[in-house]
Amino acid sequence: MWRFLAEAGAVFTKDLRTEFRTRVALNALGLFAITTLAAVSYTIGPYRIAENDRPFLLAALLWIVIFFAAMAGLDRTFVKEEDTHTAPLLRLSAEPLVVWAGKLLFNFVLLDVLMAILVPLYMVLMGFRVASTAGFLLVLVAGGYTLAVTTTMVAAIIARAMTRGALFSVLSLPLLLPLLIFLIQGTRAAVEGSAEGISDSLRAVVSLGGVMTVVSVVLFPVVWNE
Amino acid sequence: MGTVLRWVLFVWMAVIIWAAFYYAPAASGFQGQSSRIVFFHVPTAWVATLAFLVSCIASIRYLRSRDPKEDIRASVAGALGLTFAILATVTGSIFARIMWGSYWNWDPRETSITFLLLIYAAYFALRAAIADPERRATMSAVYAILAFVTVPFLVFVVPRIYWSLHPDTIINTQGRIKMDSRMFQVLMGSLVGFTGVFSWLYSLECRVEGIRRRRQHEVL
Repeated sequence: MWRFLAEAGAVFTKDLRTEFRTRVALNALGLFAITTLAAVSYTIGPYRIAENDRPFLLAALLWIVIFFAAMAGLDRTFVKEEDTHTAPLLRLSAEPLVVWAGKLLFNFVLLDVLMAILVPLYMVLMGFRVASTAGFLLVLVAGGYTLAVTTTMVAAIIARAMTRGALFSVLSLPLLLPLLIFLIQGTRAAVEGSAEGISDSLRAVVSLGGVMTVVSVVLFPVVWNE
Repeated sequence: MGTVLRWVLFVWMAVIIWAAFYYAPAASGFQGQSSRIVFFHVPTAWVATLAFLVSCIASIRYLRSRDPKEDIRASVAGALGLTFAILATVTGSIFARIMWGSYWNWDPRETSITFLLLIYAAYFALRAAIADPERRATMSAVYAILAFVTVPFLVFVVPRIYWSLHPDTIINTQGRIKMDSRMFQVLMGSLVGFTGVFSWLYSLECRVEGIRRRRQHEVL
């Protein structure tokens, strides 16, 4: 177990180091998020939405910005290995599940960094306030994990296909739409301070994340070794 | 499917279509004759679900055996599932227009069928993007399984979170069937008939696809 974690940690550190050399994923994710946020903030702004609609519409806009930013950069983890022809070496030096865990951790951390920058900005620019901060943070973390685990698997699939960029969003979004609905509901509940709403949505997000984790553990070796 | 079975299917479906309009009564609480669409809408939705299940099982079997026949089964079932899902969407949409006044209003059931359509359209986009047949088969099998596990969330969880206008599903929350017995007979007959049509199309398409691939192999 410890060995597995250490090896997955090594894959994660390697990815982090190569990412900091080029910053492709970070730039893509960050700039995409900031640009979309600027567009949303400019066209809608904090006061154009009626008071009653605010919790739902602001929650929906926040998650749409996060999801689209995720579509712009989360496929890099695997596409990069194929582009630089380092995938065969990685296959030789690490077990498939170790690679999966390392890449998943990388995507999860990347998303968390993105949310740590984006969410405060969104709150300031859109006048977005939450009644239950703890509930909101839980929704963000659980949502980030489920988003990362789903996109990691799709990224592994599309890295072996042609026309990868477009394909990543095409394959990911349909799988992520239920998650998007649960997260919007959860965030709305956090804005309104409804503990019941938060727990309902968290249960749905966590079970989706759990199912995706189990399926990924079983299927990732098949995709990686193909 | 043998000639006799095909004839039986033909007569069966003809009787069901007749019975849907003349034998079963129109349900009360619905606009005019609109409830009769249930005899076509529910079976197409059922066949779409069944087809996706078949596609998922064939995908799992492919990953275990690496038999190209299983890949053919998975892709054929996926294509038929997509077709029947489109039919279910169209019939549902016509019903929505009559009962609720608009063809589309993002009711949870409409939302979940849209997701299903998107997922399976994505499945075929993936198949089109991989040239190598073995890799295409493996990757699409993995995606089909991944997609299939999200289906329960779409079908059961999303409609629970949102309030729905959709009439109670056949097996409703109380686990009882609230339907006139003649309507129930026709609906069950229609489900059997549509399942028969699906299995006929499925075996036919599997054979056609098999021949197509063998031809491609010979040409190459």
